[in-house]
Amino acid sequence: MKPHRRKKLGIIIFIAAGLSTAIGLSLYALSNNIDLFFTPTQVAAGEVTPGQRIRVGGMVKEGSVEHSQEILEVSFVTTDYNHDVLIKYAGILPDLFREGQGIVAEGAMSADGTFVASRVLAKHDENYMSVEVKAALDAAGTTPGMPQGVLQ
Amino acid sequence: MWLWFSKLGSPRWFYELSSKWLPWLYAAMIVLMAIGLFWALLIVPEDYQQGQTIRIMYVHVPVASISLACFPLMAVAGTITLVWKMKLADMVAKSVAPIGAWFTGLALASGAIWGDQIWGTWWAWDARLTSLLIQFFLFIGVIALRSAIESQDAAAKACAVLAIVGAINVPIIKYSVEWWNTLHQPASSFSIDPVAPNPPEVWVPLLIMISAVYVFFVIALILRTRNEILQRERRSQWVIDLVSKEKSV
Repeated sequence: MKPHRRKKLGIIIFIAAGLSTAIGLSLYALSNNIDLFFTPTQVAAGEVTPGQRIRVGGMVKEGSVEHSQEILEVSFVTTDYNHDVLIKYAGILPDLFREGQGIVAEGAMSADGTFVASRVLAKHDENYMSVEVKAALDAAGTTPGMPQGVLQ
Repeated sequence: MWLWFSKLGSPRWFYELSSKWLPWLYAAMIVLMAIGLFWALLIVPEDYQQGQTIRIMYVHVPVASISLACFPLMAVAGTITLVWKMKLADMVAKSVAPIGAWFTGLALASGAIWGDQIWGTWWAWDARLTSLLIQFFLFIGVIALRSAIESQDAAAKACAVLAIVGAINVPIIKYSVEWWNTLHQPASSFSIDPVAPNPPEVWVPLLIMISAVYVFFVIALILRTRNEILQRERRSQWVIDLVSKEKSV
């Protein structure tokens, strides 16, 4: 390679590396703002103040979903298997909402420690399979653990 | 090696060689696309959670994967332009920008349709979606920058710099789902076991669709680059000869 070309390539690589480092560090510093939702553990640690509009994400705890008899209100517990958050929501749930499913709820903590959601979104994990394969895995008891998909 | 490298840099050589490639690429695309679409839309079983909606994946994943390949390609072509001043590299860089913008737009649109069905929203400001939207604007920016600068050489240099800087966004898009918590799920890992998550019946048709769309992308890139070659080399003898031959036929 001719010297002047080598020099040019060196400059390009140097600038690209410098910029990547700068962007990498600022993204690292901002990572709390880039995360889409707070986990129940972060909520338990007091990272959110009541009334502040935030999103909370976690798994819907088995057996915790309670539908109101009179109105379109539902309450359920979302968990990251360390801490729980009780969520109250009046509205239409996504089709994929069910116990054991990952969800993201948008709303605010109320003073009594429940989370009042104005919107609930469903997450799905990265495992795709047919109904038959799922049934076979369930029968064999080797269904992969759902949690890691939603929590990281 | 260097001879081959400098030969590849010759627009005429590329034009003549790609004329031979194109029929094969057309044939490969038609076959792969037919098999892939038929398999993905009709044969793939319903997903245990998402039902028929899973078929959107067979469009979304190929276009998203190509949209992520376009920017590094443009950055590599830009580096070659800046360092070696190879004519063909800048023609490829110019040609890939609108294709990349289209594929990024399609990835965003197909993702929105999928998200509307499954997440319950077509858009969320999560890291994956936002970084891909930034890539879309970067492509638009590269196209705008090129048309804003009159001198061809200056435009090539400016776009090369923007392409190299913008390519830093690509690993951010790729790893956004692992570095931050997002609504978008992480990348799947495929299993060769038929009774496991992501079994071959799910990913083999996906692989065929990805190859089909990649071949389509290569064809589109070659056609645009050939067009660019003819325009920029219109005063050279071989293009004049080629045009007069076409006219006489």
